[in-house]
Amino acid sequence: MFKRSDESLISKALDGDERAWQQLVSRYQSVLYYYSLRLMGDPDDARDLLQDVLMVLCRNLAQFRGDSSFKTWLFGIANYRAMDMLRKRKPVTDIDDIPEAVDLDTQSHEQQLSQAQTERLVKQHLTKLPPEQRLVVELRFYQQFTFDEIAVQLAVSSNTVKSRFYAALDKLKTQLEVHDVRQSANF
Amino acid sequence: MSDNQQIFDAWLAGKISDSECRAALQNDAEWLSRLHMALTIKQLAAAPQFDPVPEINTSQMFQQQWGRKKTAFTWWPQLSVGMSALALIVSLSPLQLQSHDGALTLRWSGNNEQQIQQQVTSMLASYKTEQQEYLQQTLQLQQQQQSAQLVLLKDYLTENEQKARRTDMLELVEYLNQQRQSDWQYWQDNAQPKQASLDYSPDYRGKRTN
Repeated sequence: MFKRSDESLISKALDGDERAWQQLVSRYQSVLYYYSLRLMGDPDDARDLLQDVLMVLCRNLAQFRGDSSFKTWLFGIANYRAMDMLRKRKPVTDIDDIPEAVDLDTQSHEQQLSQAQTERLVKQHLTKLPPEQRLVVELRFYQQFTFDEIAVQLAVSSNTVKSRFYAALDKLKTQLEVHDVRQSANF
Repeated sequence: MSDNQQIFDAWLAGKISDSECRAALQNDAEWLSRLHMALTIKQLAAAPQFDPVPEINTSQMFQQQWGRKKTAFTWWPQLSVGMSALALIVSLSPLQLQSHDGALTLRWSGNNEQQIQQQVTSMLASYKTEQQEYLQQTLQLQQQQQSAQLVLLKDYLTENEQKARRTDMLELVEYLNQQRQSDWQYWQDNAQPKQASLDYSPDYRGKRTN
């Protein structure tokens, strides 16, 4: 089946074609929701952010000029709204309150267990990063944007993006080490 | 930018593999730990998510913002495409519209080879006549040009001949005059003194008085 481009769908939506709008939304809704969920760490907040982003998107659809890809432009909006919400919100919940996301029943080997444990910890500690650093990690790894694209979205220099990214990695490492020390002390 | 950062960036850009990057950063604990952390996050990002995506009433959003506009049915592109297709069919098919003796005839004729042959023959004949006329005209023109050139040549030769003859006559007259002048001079120098001596000699004088 012939797949319409984002630009074509936007053009049709601007002419009042609701089906084109729905098609455009369905293309990015789940990506945006998981992005929101990872950043906000809470399904309700993620839903609010998703709704907010879609509303801003709908209102500003005519502003899309095609200077960058639609996804880059859309995530520019999402980043702005997410940062706004994250700054307004109180500090994150305690790590222990976050449920374990990985199902370990099917994993038998010790190495896999250790790896899964590390991943769970990293996932938990990601939510404790400062919003700017968390956003860069999200955009680089989950959305696979380049540093230059992220710089455009966040309206900062590419070097700033990189330094936030490396700082995030260092901070995660430190947090994991602290966690290990605490675990050892408990034993 | 340090070498190790460049290596790490190359890995991020997918230019080198995990193992190559790990080997290259083996001696730098800081960058190696960053690589390990990045690998873990990358693995996390690759895992699919199955959380249900909430339903959002995007239809209402759209109606509020853009719903005032009705989808305008743009008929002219379809009409344009339709007319183009029709024109293509008509031009490719043996459909013929002919006007003859005030009557308009629409024909679907596939076997008109004889007619085509006749047309070809008639066009060839017409072409032949045209060529003959052209050749005749060219020949006439050539002849006219030739005769005009001959007249010019005759005039030139006649004029030249006359000039030469006049020049010859003038030269002859001049020559004769020169001869006469020369004779007169000779007579003056030689014959005249002798005549005078004879006229005044005594013998001759007596005869003359008688």
